[in-house]
Amino acid sequence: MPHHEFECSKVIPERKKHAVIKGKGETLADALPQGYLNTIPGSISERGCAYCGAKHVIGTPMKDVIHISHGPVGCTYDTWQTKRYISDNDNFQLKYTYATDVKEKHIVFGAEKLLKQNIIEAFKAFPQIKRMTIYQTCATALIGDDINAIAEEVMEEMPEVDIFVCNSPGFAGPSQSGGHHKINIAWINQKVGTVEPEITGDHVINYVGEYNIQGDQEVMVDYFKRMGIQVLSTFTGNGSYDGLRAMHRAHLNVLECARSAEYICNELRVRYGIPRLDIDGFGFKPLADSLRKIGMFFGIEDRAKAIIDEEVARWKPELDWYKERLMGKKVCLWPGGSKLWHWAHVIEEEMGLKVVSVYTKFGHQGDMEKGIARCGEGTLAIDDPNELEGLEALEMLKPDIILTGKRPGEVAKKVRVPYLNAHAYHNGPYKGFEGWVRFARDIYNAIYSPIHQLSGIDITKDNAPEWGNGFRTRQMLSDGNLSDAVRNSETLRQYTGGYDSVSKLREREYPAFERKVG
Amino acid sequence: MTCEVKEKGRVGTINPIFTCQPAGAQFVSIGIKDCIGIVHGGQGCVMFVRLIFSQHYKESFELASSSLHEDGAVFGACGRVEEAVDVLLSRYPDVKVVPIITTCSTEIIGDDVDGVIKKLNEGLLKEKFPDREVHLIAMHTPSFVGSMISGYDVAVRDVVRHFAKREAPNDKINLLTGWVNPGDVKELKHLLGEMDIEANVLFEIESFDSPILPDGSAVSHGNTTIEDLIDTGNARATFALNRYEGTKAAEYLQKKFEIPAIIGPTPIGIRNTDIFLQNLKKATGKPIPQSLAHERGVAIDALADLTHMFLAEKRVAIYGAPDLVIGLAEFCLDLEMKPVLLLLGDDNSKYVDDPRIKALQENVDYGMEIVTNADFWELENRIKNEGLELDLILGHSKGRFISIDYNIPMLRVGFPTYDRAGLFRYPTVGYGGAIWLAEQMANTLFADMEHKKNKEWVLNVW
Repeated sequence: MPHHEFECSKVIPERKKHAVIKGKGETLADALPQGYLNTIPGSISERGCAYCGAKHVIGTPMKDVIHISHGPVGCTYDTWQTKRYISDNDNFQLKYTYATDVKEKHIVFGAEKLLKQNIIEAFKAFPQIKRMTIYQTCATALIGDDINAIAEEVMEEMPEVDIFVCNSPGFAGPSQSGGHHKINIAWINQKVGTVEPEITGDHVINYVGEYNIQGDQEVMVDYFKRMGIQVLSTFTGNGSYDGLRAMHRAHLNVLECARSAEYICNELRVRYGIPRLDIDGFGFKPLADSLRKIGMFFGIEDRAKAIIDEEVARWKPELDWYKERLMGKKVCLWPGGSKLWHWAHVIEEEMGLKVVSVYTKFGHQGDMEKGIARCGEGTLAIDDPNELEGLEALEMLKPDIILTGKRPGEVAKKVRVPYLNAHAYHNGPYKGFEGWVRFARDIYNAIYSPIHQLSGIDITKDNAPEWGNGFRTRQMLSDGNLSDAVRNSETLRQYTGGYDSVSKLREREYPAFERKVG
Repeated sequence: MTCEVKEKGRVGTINPIFTCQPAGAQFVSIGIKDCIGIVHGGQGCVMFVRLIFSQHYKESFELASSSLHEDGAVFGACGRVEEAVDVLLSRYPDVKVVPIITTCSTEIIGDDVDGVIKKLNEGLLKEKFPDREVHLIAMHTPSFVGSMISGYDVAVRDVVRHFAKREAPNDKINLLTGWVNPGDVKELKHLLGEMDIEANVLFEIESFDSPILPDGSAVSHGNTTIEDLIDTGNARATFALNRYEGTKAAEYLQKKFEIPAIIGPTPIGIRNTDIFLQNLKKATGKPIPQSLAHERGVAIDALADLTHMFLAEKRVAIYGAPDLVIGLAEFCLDLEMKPVLLLLGDDNSKYVDDPRIKALQENVDYGMEIVTNADFWELENRIKNEGLELDLILGHSKGRFISIDYNIPMLRVGFPTYDRAGLFRYPTVGYGGAIWLAEQMANTLFADMEHKKNKEWVLNVW
């Protein structure tokens, strides 16, 4: 039987179908856990809500927008300053957040007038911003405020502004994933096709499902620009509102996170005939393949190849330095939605790590399908994990590192498993060739932290080690079992990039490619 | 020039200073031993509050959700609470206290949480957990009323009301600390220890600052026991240090058991700590010992090194929890500083009648503004568009970009302070807190002088 029953979950038998251990010779048909079902109350699941999925994950990375939540202040406050989606306009969307501040009287008498006042106040406070998104919350959904009507009314009165409305209250679906879907569909229904862009090149894409965590989007757009590709919009990291209104004019949708943004790609294909190409910015091979595929689509493989050759030559020796030292280290790959399959095979192949467990909080069965397909035998896969199951799995698997979110990372810390932030990253970006080396570097630094070594020592014991000297370096801990050839290699080297690998990209100039069509 | 109290003129909130009521109830929940609260609402109401606790403390705390989904929002979700209690108790055999914390959604749909608790007490608990001590406590904390501050106040009252019993009156006091840090609790217990006073501490959260142990056994959780909570009914006096974070409970105990309630002052600064100790002396008859006179002297010595030379005249804006803001403002005045703008982040109508605010209005001899229902735009707009000049900002981390963008030094204080390391370990209350605050303010100003090359050479000798 491939299903895995946790000791701690025996009292909730339905949980058994949410975890599997991939056995020898088993196929996906044997070993697929259920996914994206309603959460079991009181299980201390790690899931968020559909409001945060819409507003916090997808809406807010849009950079030139006033993002208002229509509800009490809590939803706004709680989702503010908990992510690292930066932008090249001095992070306006990180710094400012807006709540209509619904109070008891509004619950009783309605909050539409309040909303309208809010909209006007916010545009007045930031006269340079003419674009706005409004997010419904549980409270305003339940009292039935017609947000769309108010938005229309304001747009008529203030023709210079444009407003998008997302009706995705917190209870709309089993997890944040419900909100991803709702905002995808709302955006294409309301906004796509309302702006005609200037087309400046022969090869035009939308970059979709990319949220510019620590600069991921800027790294990838750098490659696209070096290939002479015009990026019409990014959905949504570092993306501009009006750029995203013009998505219908792209020749190709390049999709990164299929969990959160495949919906809009599929709709763009149906409504405007724009093909979808799934890519992956994580890992040398997936990234190189991705650039090659885009190159092939446009008939510019040579440009892709030039970039790949240059980048691999620059960064591969650094990646391999870490790979030698990470061989066989056990990883719990416990992200939110889709990174289990973006990362599972490639951290094994390119960093030498061994994935012993994958989980997804809000992924669907399709994510599990891909994740499990890319894992080796014996891997424990968990859907919608909860606190006790996580601890039981850590006890059982004894991983060397866990890749997960900030708060679950604190749980792992207590049982002496070093954690790396899979959502916001430690010292990212992690996309791009250089980014992938930064990821390997962060994993190495976590696993071979001298402090981590100290944490396992019981100083009260007579057999506690005597240190001899007052320090250990990471390499003293990591290099003991390496061969001389590896240890003294003149080609391999540690990461040589700087602390900030992104800001310099903003200054970069790009080659002009001659246009074939006018 | 006077001190003016006014409400924010705009209806909306640009960058909120507070979150909503359920967060306050959740903070109470994690302070109680063997307690896991269930938040009845959408999952985000728990997930993000757990996240912000972990941002502040760099630790994880257990809180559960009833996971309200669409069907529950339409048809009612009482069944989700019943299932949540069952699942939680079945999987956490040590849990004895389960607050059921409501949110905006479940208050609007009108779920009868008190009724559910009655049903569970008579049904599930008797049938499935007959030999187990379990306390289900309803906490009504709709998000559209008050703020995290009132949510805390309500939740402390609900806990005390559930447990307090008058069995055998004793000499202990009840110490309601308000929403503070582990460092504060440590300092307060130290003061009580020196006074030889025993207390029921609500809440014992020193243990939030927990270790990594070789066997991986440590967890962060509060330590106020059921026995402590029952014992609140036996105490000789209740000290609610923060007027807005504990008064409801203190008044309940006074009304129900005639236990005198001493409300405030928030013991920030030397003077308020003096008042606190004198109040303790009056309530218990215990003298203030030499050891505290010595500590007080050390603190005064530290402050004397800083006030005239560095802190005098410095213009300060302070925002955050009302008792913290008022306490800091009072302390700043003792330090010869000029708090010019105080921002209180909710619309509590009682602020205008607060005796401390009245005293400021009567005595401040320069322009001071106190804004209620405030947001961060009240601060930023004054700096950006109205020429407000500041030397220092005191407040929590959510205001960090104002400090960064307008190049005004800021000392992180209050909750949350996630963009600085370990601040929860240090007190802001008591004589120890007075030293910490004054020296951190000074060091913050010093670093800024050097950063801006603004008479940085002054520090060569002092």
